[in-house]
Amino acid sequence: MSALVSNILTQVFITLIAVAGVYVLTGLTGMFSLGQAAFMAIGAYASGLLVVRLHMNFALAVVLSVLMAVAVGYLIGYPVVRLRRDYISLVTLGFGEAIGALLNRMTFLTGGASGLTGVPRRVGLPLACISAVAAIGLVAFFKTSKYGRQCIALRGDELAAKAMGINVIRVKMTAFLLSVALTAYSGALYVFYMSYVDPTGFGWKKSADWVIMVFFGGVNSLTGSTLGAFILSALPQMLRGLQNYRYVVYAVLVLLILNFKPSGLLGEWELTPGNVKRSIGRLTEGRRRKEEK
Amino acid sequence: MALLEVKNIHKSFGGVKAIQDFSIEADAGEIHGIIGPNGAGKTTIFNTISGVYTADSGEVYLNGTQITKLEQYKITRLGMGRTFQNIRLFQGLTVQENVMCAFDPQSRYTVLGGLLPTPKRLAEEKRGKELCEKYLEIVGMKDYLKERPENLSYGMQRRIEIARALMCEPKTLLLDEPAAGLNPTEVGELTELIRRVSKQIGFAILLIEHRLELVMSISDLIHVQNFGKTIAVGTPDEVRQNQEVIEAYLGKED
Ligand SMILES: Nc1ncnc2c1ncn2[C@@H]1O[C@H](COP(=O)(O)OP(=O)(O)OP(=O)(O)O)[C@@H](O)[C@H]1O
Ligand SMILES: [Mg+2]
Repeated sequence: MSALVSNILTQVFITLIAVAGVYVLTGLTGMFSLGQAAFMAIGAYASGLLVVRLHMNFALAVVLSVLMAVAVGYLIGYPVVRLRRDYISLVTLGFGEAIGALLNRMTFLTGGASGLTGVPRRVGLPLACISAVAAIGLVAFFKTSKYGRQCIALRGDELAAKAMGINVIRVKMTAFLLSVALTAYSGALYVFYMSYVDPTGFGWKKSADWVIMVFFGGVNSLTGSTLGAFILSALPQMLRGLQNYRYVVYAVLVLLILNFKPSGLLGEWELTPGNVKRSIGRLTEGRRRKEEK
Repeated sequence: MALLEVKNIHKSFGGVKAIQDFSIEADAGEIHGIIGPNGAGKTTIFNTISGVYTADSGEVYLNGTQITKLEQYKITRLGMGRTFQNIRLFQGLTVQENVMCAFDPQSRYTVLGGLLPTPKRLAEEKRGKELCEKYLEIVGMKDYLKERPENLSYGMQRRIEIARALMCEPKTLLLDEPAAGLNPTEVGELTELIRRVSKQIGFAILLIEHRLELVMSISDLIHVQNFGKTIAVGTPDEVRQNQEVIEAYLGKED
């Protein structure tokens, strides 16, 4: 495999982990976070700093950085899960931009605008790939668990959910913290792959990008969201030759899908053994019918 | 003390006095009908008892516990089940998943079980699915587990909503116009169903209904509401003969 392809794939896998988190938050629970990328920054900076400054063991630093992000997530989640949905994006937006500003200002700790350098390279394609598969697997289990069901229930009708005994605030918090943990983990992988991180690129635009990927692939399907993230994060990299036109291609693609298939590429379809069997069954059935004619 | 005791509750919205001094005592096995014209405050009574709204004054006790100011989900967990006037099943979930949602808050596995198929999760999911099938069987919807409710008839959706409310293992069941939009055969089946669960499961049922033939035939006691006030309480026969009721409600309807 060429170094270029390997580089693109590694970055795509790292993005897939963050988007799995966005799927939990936006797809399952119906909450829009415009500060999600800030948790990636927290994961990246915290784990990077622990290793560079405190010479901590890589794995331990990653675990600690995820825990730290979850702690921050709890603080910001406290108001977020209690707010009306339209305010959630606003609060998370403010939070995300504030984190960006902080990372820029705290030069003594973060290196400011010139970034945190000298992080050892500990992540390659295999670890990124395994992590992405694991993250998506966990989210798939989450979706079919009592948590996933309660998320979907309250996404559509909070009043009815409460009337069934669902603790709406608690379930939302669980989903939020899971998405934070995944995003922070993807940030940690990012910094140990790039061996460098600076404060740009973790603003609301990145968070919005992830939401677009989820909607592009299918907001009600984890398979779709993953596929959407795969296509939309690999595409701009593969179209590098077109320079700025690649964003035009990206935008046109997104608009086409959302116009002609508002539920996203895959709609609600999930890649499960049962669904695959059914699809194959339908295909062979069709072929048999044609042959009979 | 009765299973459900509502003592002199009041509820206003701005200038609208939706409930003025409503009381009720209901015990296991009893069916209480609540009737009255549109806007009489019937749904508001349910919403206040079940915690959607908090009463301005008055008290509500469920099985001896004061629930007047408790949060909605906590009231449900103490034993309050309900259905809605305009069906509120969950979009994006199958029939089975819809009913399971009422079991999930009681399901005893942790976040670890939420992320991995731990033995505890598998056992709890199995227990939930069995209960789910039991209640769907009671309402006659066991063959539709994997369907989406939005693809089923109105009558079937009403039954699924009842199964979902039963899944809360309620001590008091609130049914808000369960016969609305049903054809006469379905109304007959529903009457039979309500009677059956009342006997089989043994909880108190409060039933709001416009279809008088239904509510008169199965209620032990009928409360007649008008403009937020209770204008009569009595057996179906007593209510039928009450002059004020006839003027306020029956006269206009029939
Ligand atoms: N959330 C609310 N905010 C303001 N007013 C409300 C609210 N809920 C109910 N009301 C008012 O309270 C009164 C009683 O309404 P309610 O829905 O309880 O009547 P109802 O007896 O259930 O009528 P129907 O037979 O049409 O269902 C109405 O005037 C209604 O407009
Ligand atoms: Mg009503």
